[in-house]
Amino acid sequence: MNISLTLLMALPLLGAAVLAALPKTNGVLAKQIALGSTILVALATISMAIGFERDNVNLQYVESHPWIPSFGINYAVGLDGISLVLILMTTLLAPIVVLAGWNESQNGRWSTKTFYILILVLEMMAIGVFAATDVFLFYVFFEAMLVPVYFLIGGYGTGERSAAAVKFLLYSLFGGLLMLASIIGLYVLSGAQGGHTFDTQALSQLQMSSTTQNLLFLGFFIAFAIKAPLWPFHTWLPDAADSATPGTSVLLLGVLDKVGTFGMIRYCLTLFPEATKTFTPIIITLSVISIIYGAFLAIGQKDIKRLIAFTSISHFGFITMGIFAMTSQGHSGATLYMFNHGFSTAALFLVAGWMISRRGSSTISDFGGLQRVTPVMAWAFFFAGMSSLALPGLSSFVSEFLVLVGTFTRYPVAAVIATFGIVLAALYILIPVQRALQGPTTAGNENLPDLTLRERVAIAPVVVIILFLGFYPSPLLKVINPAATHVISQMGFSDPAPTQLGGK
Amino acid sequence: MTFTAPVLNYAILSPMLIVLAGALIGVLVEAFVGKALRPIVQLILTVATLLLALVQVFRIRGSESLSAAMGSVVFDGPGFLFQAAILIISIISVFLIADNENFTALAAAIPGSAEEQAAIQQGNKVTEVFPLTLFAVAGMMLFPVSSDLITLFVALEMLSLPLYLMAGLSRRRRLLSQEAALKYFLLGAFASAFFLFGAAYLYGYSGDVTFSGIRDSVVGGSGNDIFLLIGIAFISIGLLFKVGAVPFHAWTPDVYQGAPTAVTAFMAAATKVAAFGAMLRIYYTIFANAEWSWTPLLSGIAIITMLFGSFVAIAQRDVKRMLAYSSIAHAGFLLAGVIALNKAGLAASIFYLFAYGVATVGAFAVVTLVRDSAGEVTDLNRWTGLGKRSPWVASVFAFFLLAFAGIPLTSGFIGKFSIFSAAYESGAQGVVIAGVLSSAVAAFFYIRVIVLMFFTDSHEDATTVVIPSVLTRITVIFSFVITVALGVYPAPLIDFINKFATFIR
Amino acid sequence: MNAANYLYISALLFTIGAVGVVVRRNAIVVFMCVELMLNAANLAFVTFARINGSIDGQIMAFFTMVVAACEVVVGLAIIVTIYRSRRSASVDDASLLKR
Repeated sequence: MNISLTLLMALPLLGAAVLAALPKTNGVLAKQIALGSTILVALATISMAIGFERDNVNLQYVESHPWIPSFGINYAVGLDGISLVLILMTTLLAPIVVLAGWNESQNGRWSTKTFYILILVLEMMAIGVFAATDVFLFYVFFEAMLVPVYFLIGGYGTGERSAAAVKFLLYSLFGGLLMLASIIGLYVLSGAQGGHTFDTQALSQLQMSSTTQNLLFLGFFIAFAIKAPLWPFHTWLPDAADSATPGTSVLLLGVLDKVGTFGMIRYCLTLFPEATKTFTPIIITLSVISIIYGAFLAIGQKDIKRLIAFTSISHFGFITMGIFAMTSQGHSGATLYMFNHGFSTAALFLVAGWMISRRGSSTISDFGGLQRVTPVMAWAFFFAGMSSLALPGLSSFVSEFLVLVGTFTRYPVAAVIATFGIVLAALYILIPVQRALQGPTTAGNENLPDLTLRERVAIAPVVVIILFLGFYPSPLLKVINPAATHVISQMGFSDPAPTQLGGK
Repeated sequence: MTFTAPVLNYAILSPMLIVLAGALIGVLVEAFVGKALRPIVQLILTVATLLLALVQVFRIRGSESLSAAMGSVVFDGPGFLFQAAILIISIISVFLIADNENFTALAAAIPGSAEEQAAIQQGNKVTEVFPLTLFAVAGMMLFPVSSDLITLFVALEMLSLPLYLMAGLSRRRRLLSQEAALKYFLLGAFASAFFLFGAAYLYGYSGDVTFSGIRDSVVGGSGNDIFLLIGIAFISIGLLFKVGAVPFHAWTPDVYQGAPTAVTAFMAAATKVAAFGAMLRIYYTIFANAEWSWTPLLSGIAIITMLFGSFVAIAQRDVKRMLAYSSIAHAGFLLAGVIALNKAGLAASIFYLFAYGVATVGAFAVVTLVRDSAGEVTDLNRWTGLGKRSPWVASVFAFFLLAFAGIPLTSGFIGKFSIFSAAYESGAQGVVIAGVLSSAVAAFFYIRVIVLMFFTDSHEDATTVVIPSVLTRITVIFSFVITVALGVYPAPLIDFINKFATFIR
Repeated sequence: MNAANYLYISALLFTIGAVGVVVRRNAIVVFMCVELMLNAANLAFVTFARINGSIDGQIMAFFTMVVAACEVVVGLAIIVTIYRSRRSASVDDASLLKR
């Protein structure tokens, strides 16, 4: 069966439309429909991934229709290895989030069905943002996906949810508007050089002075750095992750933030190769700061959700470093890292979410001795933690290793400093794991119920994927590598010798 | 002495003549039709007139004439687009105006007097508002197609005078409304005087009152430049006042707040189209060759207007005032289209005017729905929790706000993008950057309202949303649909505008 | 006599009018100042008509007078209404909209 990207995007929308037609009272049916449509989307994506020609570096599943012809804007979508992997991650995570967060919508301001409509719309936009090959279309999705997330955080979160939602939205909008200025700049330049267009390929051929290129690059980069989030643009993330429901947090950190790092590869690097070279040292420095800073702050956190948010800042530092190291290992590693981070964060947030909802507290010190009371949940948390600290044999190890190797060949100092991040990771993961799981069972934890069947079913695929890719990452790498090499060679870089290393 | 009979091109004047005829018939209806029948007769008459004029405008859309009325009226592509936009916006807002909850029973009665009580009990309605609207619409249609200073001035007054009166007709809080009328009138007349004085100097500069004559002098550069500069400056003051640009914005918040909301909607949307229409014509045709003299200043005004409007709007606690400051910020964005001085700028401005006008009417229409026992509630603090009590109304309002903020998939985004790219293309990068930054600031207060409506729990003295009457519902639905359609698939309209967006000189 | 002198007078009248609008408080007086400004513009028109030797300026002056008369009708209506409601025509008293 031929599945087009448009159909893939239409599926969740269709699900949302069906949900919208439902009566408000039937929450269970709404959940079932949401689960059904996300599973359907996931299956469709898998079949697309099977049909994907791995060694073909050209865009596949290309569609292009004029949208606003007088501005040269097309509805143009297509897949390369990197975007395929990210779409796969998105659509796999979506049903897991729906299933894991079965009761998340209960404390919301609005009905259950609204919650799932927002999730499905968000999924559709996430697919669109990764698939877009027209800069304008990308921007439209990039900005429009803020709206469902905003309502998800503000409407269904906990604590200072509306403040966190506003903070998130304003940061993102600010970055987005800077990017808009850059996009306008590109548009005008393209108009002066042979006709208005937003096609990524055509735009990468533009001639521009280095000052222009630097300015336009900054517009894009700051937007992505806010999204990613890179130090010092990260301050919205802990609040947002703290207030959002676990499922929303997974989508926020796992999917939405990947748009930032994805955008760096797709737009910063390909559109502005010269400016990228100019700014690389600064960006590598920022990445290293992110890695260390995120890790240190994670160690100091008392709140489990904030802890996970800070670990993510550290992880995103790794991803950014891998991207800007300009080696094919670095790129492959960064892309694989994005995928793996999605699942390890999902594991952490979902299990943490279950712990929090059972205990009614998100403070780490409130937990203790869970190993005895709820062994399955404890093991799941332990496993998620190990995945986050990149234990060999788990998927994140492969990607972290590739990133470090890729960086080391070009920026040895940065790679060495970043390696300390791994050591710190051991600290920030092991301390809460030890506190929460081992030792005597503290008061208030004696009667916590263990994971239900639904929750086990939800977490199982995550565990399987993490384990499988830890031992056998090559299916993904075979998809990623040609695309990553292609980007690097387009930029005019070649890998410094010696190369062949790691999980190829 | 021979007398040459004036040659009038009736086909081209017909849309305006239709509206004027409708207005005059409306006056007769006031005199001869019984009180009970009047509202419905007036409504049908007004809508029919506007629809007829719209049809007629579309029928003559291809024609171009520099001398439709002995050189006083010019008709070309942009003229057609402005007139069509004004008519469409007017039609949408007439339904809102027709909702009789909005107007006083007897404008001449002293607020709170027995006379007023009696008028209310008799079920009086100020149906005068319909012919007044039509007169204003006729003036607005004439304003952007005038091609000499005399017609321009007459059109300016013709659109302003009815609006001054309409601003004072509010049903509730009448003192406030009368005060708004007074302020609008005094400041408006003040601005007209500046405008007229500028016109005198342009005449002195060129010895001609027609645009083509003035343009020839500007191109030839033979006249006294001082006269030209005084002329440009004073005319600009008059126009900038009408569009509410800083520092000539002082009337905007007061009038927007005090006037009946239906009138505010009409005024905010349609007047902007007319005033910017005339402004675009004047700057693009007669002043284009004196670009050096006004671009820097106008860029400065645009930047200040955007930033001022956005920042001051943050501090507002009243919905109508907030929308007023937001309209000031939008005037700044639109000035970027004037500065662009290229075809893209003209097309973008027309698109923006139409998209913004429609969204504005829609937003004010929603404001009329939020009431308590004493009438409309515009205090933002009492809008808290509106999303809970009436999710549909709140969602629609939120959507209009997102359109104002320029979030993708709304008409506002396409408008912003096109107008900024036109300005960027013409080399006004500073204006673009200021525009982008002030958009970020503006997003803050739009979002704050959304937070209030959706994420804040309501107080005890909560407002209720009345069930919209059929008329108001028409307004809201039309504006909503247009705003969505222009955001998702604007290509047809953009192509259509591009086809016509060239001034003839 | 030099026609430019009329321009100076017109500019002077215009300035007096403008200053009057800004400093005077009575709505009627403010309105009269606006009328003064309009008449200053009229004087300029007529002067320029004389200088340029064209008749358009004089025609414009007539139009201005008519329009000014319309403005008086509308303006006085508004001012009188407000005067009846609060027994004062001072623009300072009209300050409900200020906060």
